[in-house]
Amino acid sequence: MPWTILFFIIFGGMAVGCALSMVAQRNPLYSAVSLIGVFVALACLYLTLAAPFIAAVQIIVYAGAIMVLVVFVIMLLNAEEEARRPYRLKFLIPVAVGLATVLIAEAAFMLTVGGAARPDPVPPKVAEVGLTASVGTGLFTEYLLPFEVTSVLILMALVGAITLARRTQVIGVAEEDLAVAGGAAPSLEAASSGDRIITPGDTEATGQAMAREQIARGEAAAPARHGEEEKEGE
Amino acid sequence: MEWLTERIGAEGVRGLGQFVGINLAFVVVLMIVAYTVLAERRVLALIQGRLGPNRVGYGGILQPFADLLKFIFKEEITPDKATKFVYFLAPIIAITAALMPIIVYPFGPTINLPFVGQVSLVIARFDIALLYVLGITSVGVYGIALAGWASNSKYSLMGGLRASAQMISYELSLGLSLVGVVLMSGTLDLYAIVEQQGGWYGMRWNIIRPDGLPQLLGFIVYLISAIAETNRVPFDLPEAETELVAGFHTEYSALKFALFFMAEYVNMFTVSMLATTLFLGGWQGPFVEQVPLLGIFYFLGKVIFFLFLYIWLRGTLPRFRFDQLMNFGWKFLLPVALLNVILTATMMFFMLRD
Repeated sequence: MPWTILFFIIFGGMAVGCALSMVAQRNPLYSAVSLIGVFVALACLYLTLAAPFIAAVQIIVYAGAIMVLVVFVIMLLNAEEEARRPYRLKFLIPVAVGLATVLIAEAAFMLTVGGAARPDPVPPKVAEVGLTASVGTGLFTEYLLPFEVTSVLILMALVGAITLARRTQVIGVAEEDLAVAGGAAPSLEAASSGDRIITPGDTEATGQAMAREQIARGEAAAPARHGEEEKEGE
Repeated sequence: MEWLTERIGAEGVRGLGQFVGINLAFVVVLMIVAYTVLAERRVLALIQGRLGPNRVGYGGILQPFADLLKFIFKEEITPDKATKFVYFLAPIIAITAALMPIIVYPFGPTINLPFVGQVSLVIARFDIALLYVLGITSVGVYGIALAGWASNSKYSLMGGLRASAQMISYELSLGLSLVGVVLMSGTLDLYAIVEQQGGWYGMRWNIIRPDGLPQLLGFIVYLISAIAETNRVPFDLPEAETELVAGFHTEYSALKFALFFMAEYVNMFTVSMLATTLFLGGWQGPFVEQVPLLGIFYFLGKVIFFLFLYIWLRGTLPRFRFDQLMNFGWKFLLPVALLNVILTATMMFFMLRD
């Protein structure tokens, strides 16, 4: 038992410290690294709570997948250090302090005064709760409906993301360009004169998709030339 | 043994054993890694019709130590505008993430040691060993990505970006290629998975095992994605020397470079161990039941086969282009891995129903 408490103090302290650092850092990448620290510390806490499966999932999903994307985007955009600005909503500071005081007081009350009435936290069947088999069985029998609904939700997010990304890349560009008074927008001119417009993040495939889109929208001179070019290019 | 148990209790003895085992495993793995580097240089030289390093010691046998000394005595250079803290942190993350998974691999059956008694040759055996390996591997990408970012050099940044994009993409097919084996074994415990592959004189490996689907497809997908995960030829775009000088570790020198170098080879070693454990029966082989010590040699032999395969590929194949790499990962490997999962699940369903 003392070992558990020692580990709780170490990893709990690490989680709190990293969380504070995550909020306080002005460099977004440092914030991201601190957040990874929080996730790792939380995973270790799950381990001490005899929930190894949850711990592994925490590392794989949050530290290993989501935060990699966050770090990737920060690196890609080369986000600068945030400049320190005067606070806009000053009244929020006392509100935050007040709410924090209430929270801490509540926790202290529960731990000290309410201690007598508190039922003993007896974890039922500790050895089974967090294991892979029990989590799997639970997910696919008792909680099948919430599980499936969650997957549909994630699928919706996926479809939404793809829709948004497609609209800005292909259709959105063409529509904006067409909406410009006078018809011939710079990018379309460049496209019909044979140069390929390359913007950051474009791959060959998106370039070709854009060309096809322009052809489909009835660019007068484009179709024959583009067709030939693509053949040559291949 | 009884004396020790009386003093610190059974739990303490187990903890002490694991502590000793972990340190021993690190030393052994680092030695093997050092000689993998030597083997790589000699075998590449053989493939290319050269001699390779053969001057230090008999046939170059002391070359790894000469290299290590050189790494230690080189000057440590930190670029002026590097982000210092992250610059130091990155190689530490890389080597830690590389070394952590090696403790879960079972490298031999239960043997009878003098003075100690029955010992299973695995350092830490737990319920989620496979997930643990996957989780730690997925954290390893930070070492490379942060190194690329913190060096404040365009080549490093390009290398880091390429590495993170590549590792995220291939992690998916890597994870999915293992699902087939997990479905057939019904456990994530690596020791149990190896034990299940006994029978047929120790040749009932998952790659040819008839209950469920033989995991040949999964094995091929795993092998390819594992090469991509470790950034080896033909997937070594993060350090493509013709384009990016040395990629993410361009600005690293001396021991910090050595850490990245070691991390790459330790990663090679761990993915080879995982392939051996999951697909080629781990320490299983003919006559292991009669002579348990043979298991260690079978395990090492299979792992060394994979290491040789890596070196062989490096001497043979040219590098991918980046769009080819992404297309191959997302449009070919991922569907094939999914197909393997679906086929295995279907076969399992019909077999379990009968």
